[in-house]
Amino acid sequence: MKTNTHFAFFDEGSKKEIRRAILKAVAIPGYQVPFASREMPIARGWGTGGLQITLSIIGKQDVLKVIDQGADESVNAVSIKKLVQATTGVKLTERTQESSIIQSRHRIPEVALTEGQILVLQVPMPEPLRPYEAKEYQTKILHSEEDYSGAWLMLFEQIMKYGQTATGADHPVYVNNRYVMAPSPIPRFDNPKMHQSEALILLGAGREKKIYAVPPYTDVASLAFDDYPFAVESFEGKHCHLCGATNVFMDELIDHSTGETIYQCNDTSYCMERLNANVEAEVEENHV
Amino acid sequence: MAIDQVHDMQQVYRKLLQSMSRPGTISSIREIAERVEYKLPCYRATFLSVMTLLDAEVTFHILSEKNQELIEKISEYTLAKYAAITEADFVIVLQDDTEASIIEAMERCKNGNLLDPQHSATWIIESPLIAKEAELTLTGPGIKQEAQLQVGLTPEIWQTRNERASEYPLGIDFIFIDEQAQLACVPRTTSVVILEVE
Repeated sequence: MKTNTHFAFFDEGSKKEIRRAILKAVAIPGYQVPFASREMPIARGWGTGGLQITLSIIGKQDVLKVIDQGADESVNAVSIKKLVQATTGVKLTERTQESSIIQSRHRIPEVALTEGQILVLQVPMPEPLRPYEAKEYQTKILHSEEDYSGAWLMLFEQIMKYGQTATGADHPVYVNNRYVMAPSPIPRFDNPKMHQSEALILLGAGREKKIYAVPPYTDVASLAFDDYPFAVESFEGKHCHLCGATNVFMDELIDHSTGETIYQCNDTSYCMERLNANVEAEVEENHV
Repeated sequence: MAIDQVHDMQQVYRKLLQSMSRPGTISSIREIAERVEYKLPCYRATFLSVMTLLDAEVTFHILSEKNQELIEKISEYTLAKYAAITEADFVIVLQDDTEASIIEAMERCKNGNLLDPQHSATWIIESPLIAKEAELTLTGPGIKQEAQLQVGLTPEIWQTRNERASEYPLGIDFIFIDEQAQLACVPRTTSVVILEVE
């Protein structure tokens, strides 16, 4: 039996509750607002937090882009896209510039976001203090007292062990000089994009039942020490083997025929657009 | 044509979100407000915002004294419960409310606690006219450099608000609505400077 689902899957009551949580999250940047996290048709931990935010804010006129670790076509992105489109009928796009809502797992797109856009990030672990404090009530107290010594100590221990901070992704940030926040597992490369962002950034953790936000034009500083300043992943001297881009976040791959290490843009739509632009330019040149 | 509970409410919410995340930005929900057919003792846009945000899980308080009719209407339409000012999640201020009553309520309403700063009151305030005039200068998250806003509250009310928002993250968030169905927001993070009137 096939029944018609309600617009955007949720009943209106669920949307209202999530919408209220988002407004509070925007009013208290970086603070994790608890919400009821509904049962979704995908498993918790697979982007249900981001999905619930997207479904609660989306309207008929929105254009949606979903990416998973930079890719528009990976399984997680495609199934979320299909679910949202099947229940709302919104237009989908892969072009960052065309979208009004971008739901993303673990990346902020290479193309700079603008004022009309909302970035929704999926968060597995919203609590930056959880690695050293297991109890939710205790971390809430630490946040309320702005006691972030543990977060600093974690970075300090990494420096002692490895000579540098060793956060692969999810490097903690200070938001609006008050809350230490997990920026979701985006690479350090993307952390500076959150600072004074033009677009509104909403973060949702479905399993952990938390929603938080970074409003536009808000200070976001990555935690770092004076003598060990924050550094993004360096791709100096590297370029994408497909489109030739530099200064973007790249994946490291092995060329199986030669055994050499090659690099490729992580943001697939950005890479594709550059490749298409090259093709167009070539076609025009040959035509003349 | 009546209002659409699904799509119109979504539109109103997005305008609210837009204005809340960019304090001082004025949004208009006039097109939807014109379709409100109920006879109401408040602005149509006020009612739309209430319909968008309230349900059985939250409580509200109305300052105005001749409010019984509106209390009943809101309870019937949203299933939200009426509560005392010290308990209410949403506080609704109508056009005819006096400065003294607003200040008194503002001193007594919830402004959260350090463990749960979200347990604070959101104020929905009817304003004679919202405009981008130099009455207030706003700075803070969501504002590029500074924004100017006119909402018609007295300096004494703003002073009370500033006191209640001084212990950030504690504070109260404002949604202003005018008769032209424009809305603007001032969340607790915004620092508000009242410009001297000559």
